[in-house]
Amino acid sequence: MEQETKVVFKGNSEGLVIVIPEEYEFEQARKEIDNKVSNAARFFMGAKIKVTYRGMNLTPVQEEALKDIMDEKSGAVIESFSKDEEPKPNQFAARVVQPKPVPGRRLLFAGVDEGNCKFVRSTVRSGMRIEYDGNVVVIGDVNPGGEIVATGNVVVLGTLRGMVHAGADGNREAFIYALSLRPTQIRIAEVIARMPEDEPESGTLRPELATVKDNSIVVEQR
Amino acid sequence: MGEVIVITSGKGGVGKTTTTANLGTGLAVQGKKVVLIDTDIGLRNLDVVMGLENRIVYDLVDVIEGTCRLKQALIKDKRYEGLHLLPAPQTRDKNAVTPEQMLKLCDELKEEFDYILIDCPAGIEQGFKNAIAGADKAFVITTPEVSAVRDADRIIGLLEAHEIRKPRLIVNRVRADMVKRGDMMSIEDIIDILAIDLIGVVPDDENIIISTNRGEPAVIDGKSMAGQAYRNITNRLMGQDVPIMDLNVSEGLLSKMKKLLGFKTA
Ligand SMILES: Nc1ncnc2c1ncn2[C@@H]1O[C@H](COP(=O)(O)OP(=O)(O)OP(=O)(O)O)[C@@H](O)[C@H]1O
Ligand SMILES: [Mg+2]
Repeated sequence: MEQETKVVFKGNSEGLVIVIPEEYEFEQARKEIDNKVSNAARFFMGAKIKVTYRGMNLTPVQEEALKDIMDEKSGAVIESFSKDEEPKPNQFAARVVQPKPVPGRRLLFAGVDEGNCKFVRSTVRSGMRIEYDGNVVVIGDVNPGGEIVATGNVVVLGTLRGMVHAGADGNREAFIYALSLRPTQIRIAEVIARMPEDEPESGTLRPELATVKDNSIVVEQR
Repeated sequence: MGEVIVITSGKGGVGKTTTTANLGTGLAVQGKKVVLIDTDIGLRNLDVVMGLENRIVYDLVDVIEGTCRLKQALIKDKRYEGLHLLPAPQTRDKNAVTPEQMLKLCDELKEEFDYILIDCPAGIEQGFKNAIAGADKAFVITTPEVSAVRDADRIIGLLEAHEIRKPRLIVNRVRADMVKRGDMMSIEDIIDILAIDLIGVVPDDENIIISTNRGEPAVIDGKSMAGQAYRNITNRLMGQDVPIMDLNVSEGLLSKMKKLLGFKTA
């Protein structure tokens, strides 16, 4: 019988976050981490990652022990292993992500490829704010003064004129897609872009995809 | 059973009171029993626009607090059979009325009147909540300005959240010459953003100011452009009870407006 595991791996823009329940047996945590990194060794292979942990307080000796396991079993170079500072109160709840091997990618933030999704079936009007830990699909427009903040991707099947923040917990892999992209501002992770002011709104829809490339948001027609 | 329609906008000064006065008068001229309620407590002016200021004895809060009977507070407009005004108090606080009390009042008025038009104050605070509490339908007023459209959008969202579905749009103070030059948002642009049904477009017209000062709504002035626009809206509103006629009127009105404003036929 497989035992329930409580330790959770999450990706962020820096590397990996390990969430260990506050009141947890160190030995149990060590075992779970050992298991997880062993299983995901192909996924970590060759990567250089910074590891932080949240929840349980570890002694320096325990930290060292966990770092050694990671170093040994993951095949990645562990640049650092330290306690994460507390998440700010307005941040999203921890995104639960199990790393899984995907060839050709070094770090994976599951969810932007496949994961939780919220469907919004109405126009997002001025003054409305939609926050979601996952991907958001709007069937309708996002109007000026409306806001969508998602840890995953944001897809607008309509005209995007408001503000959208994708990958809000720091995930630069997230994208924003709209049938007509005319936002006041878009953000992906911590990268911010605004649209040129004098571009007239054209009558025909021109689907566009916004992604992060080299520290800036690029928009391409799709 | 009558119909309660709130006339609202978010942004101030875009024409809520003007529209309430004109539609109310238009409906009364067509033989309907109408009551106009001014819910702009402390900043009332529907009575002035209607030229009924000097006849106020009791007001909305007197009715709600039971100081007088509803009948006593309703001012009958002697010029137009069937038209009544329930004025707002000028010296009371907005919190003197609750949404529950407004709902009860509207339900009572519906028994006797065909239309209850509610002139909503600007903003989204208590006064707005009171004004929409008893409403079955809403007309959202905007002018062709980015800020007014933004506020209208906010209001539409709040109306929907309060289960007042499918509000209808009136675009006021449109200047065809400015739209043509590209200096003013077109009706198309506005509808594109707000995504609700248009019930009418009212041109910017100095007759409105003249008629407001006289206390005689422009809707009865055969020569006023804005008056004609309000007559059209009145007809469309009444057409709602007769779906087929509604369609005809809407099409005729729209195609006429398109020509008038020099639209591209996309
Ligand atoms: N179509 C129009 N053409 C010219 N002037 C207009 C028109 N509509 C309204 N006005 C003028 O604009 C001013 C504001 O109108 P009104 O009082 O109806 O707005 P309101 O939305 O009720 O304002 P408030 O938010 O203060 O209650 C008035 O002076 C009125 O005469
Ligand atoms: Mg007013």
